[in-house]
Amino acid sequence: MADRIDSGTLRIPAREPDFVRRVEELSGEDVFACYQCGKCSAGCPFTSGMDLLPAEVLRLLQLGDGRVLGARSPWVCASCLACGVRCPKGVDIAKVMEALRLFALRRGETGLRLGDIPPGVPQIALVGATRKLTP
Amino acid sequence: MERLGYELAELPRWNCCGTVYSLSTDDLMRHVAPVRNFVRVQEMGEGRLVTLCAMCYNTLRRSAQFVSADPERLQRINAFMDEEPDYRGGVEVLHLLQVLRDEITFEAVEAKVERPLYGLRVAPYYGCMLLRPRGVGIDDPDRPETMELLFEHLGAEAVDTPHRVECCGAYQTVADPGLARERVAEIVGAASRRGADLIVTSCPLCTYNLERHQLVAGDGRGTGARHASHVSRHGIPVLYFTQLLAFALGVPEEELGFADAAIDPRPALSQRVGG
Repeated sequence: MADRIDSGTLRIPAREPDFVRRVEELSGEDVFACYQCGKCSAGCPFTSGMDLLPAEVLRLLQLGDGRVLGARSPWVCASCLACGVRCPKGVDIAKVMEALRLFALRRGETGLRLGDIPPGVPQIALVGATRKLTP
Repeated sequence: MERLGYELAELPRWNCCGTVYSLSTDDLMRHVAPVRNFVRVQEMGEGRLVTLCAMCYNTLRRSAQFVSADPERLQRINAFMDEEPDYRGGVEVLHLLQVLRDEITFEAVEAKVERPLYGLRVAPYYGCMLLRPRGVGIDDPDRPETMELLFEHLGAEAVDTPHRVECCGAYQTVADPGLARERVAEIVGAASRRGADLIVTSCPLCTYNLERHQLVAGDGRGTGARHASHVSRHGIPVLYFTQLLAFALGVPEEELGFADAAIDPRPALSQRVGG
């Protein structure tokens, strides 16, 4: 852990569980780069449906808090990428949300039950939703 | 495009790009569909692939960048697709708006206008995938002007609306239609308050969401009923940029699919000065 502190990024030593490392691997993003300015949360058009704001998702990851794994927010995220273009630290938060979804999907969870699909939705939405929200 | 003196050739045996770009580092499988299309482009002896759709544009362009950035990735994908010739890299992906703006030029488009859109107030709606992330988007991610300029060259007035670069709900329209309805009520409500006659899009999924959820929000029956005060009962027609372009260039109306629109755009179009 000491080498990480030397790199100029504050990390919480010895408390970083495997899932944080896995989320970083899957996303290719450094969740510890976030300094909680909140621009991502301010610009996110989907916060009305989220239990954790995007900045809060990053904060819980920094703290190694496992509650982030049960959060609804990654399933509400529509990968619109507004957060990422505004982040002053260059964190692509949509990639972090995708990593959290994949973490769950690869354990057999799903964000979309096929029986709940409304009639008449176009193919482009069906393919997108099944790619993002099902294993 | 013929009227603009520009020829596009359909890609033989094209396949779906997958519609959404994988944001994970380890999902090579998701790049197979885009790369297969690049192989088709290569077989034609061409170097550029033009798409009408913002989601195709984003997925294909980012995949092209992803496989070009690392020869090992490309080699693994090529090895997996052993029934296909190897993709050698180098295909450039363009959205049709870029072709119109950068190659044909809007000035040349204006010179071909037969039905100028004078007096028509058009609200461009970009959504996400044409503008983000930086380095992929075709214009400034927060202050784009490509469609504004195009519509002004067609004679219309471009209406500035605050939510033109915000997500319409995208594929969440499948998993959580209420979310999409909420987004659409806000987007269309603002366009309506600013007096737009038409909303014009560059993405088919935006088009679907803006039309479909506008109707639900506006008819007072759906769960979006609380937004009904923002949205006119008849709604604002939603057109694809190519429909408005072709209309201005004088393509016969019967060929433009207006009758298939959920909200008929013809009354709005007939309001143009001299219409």
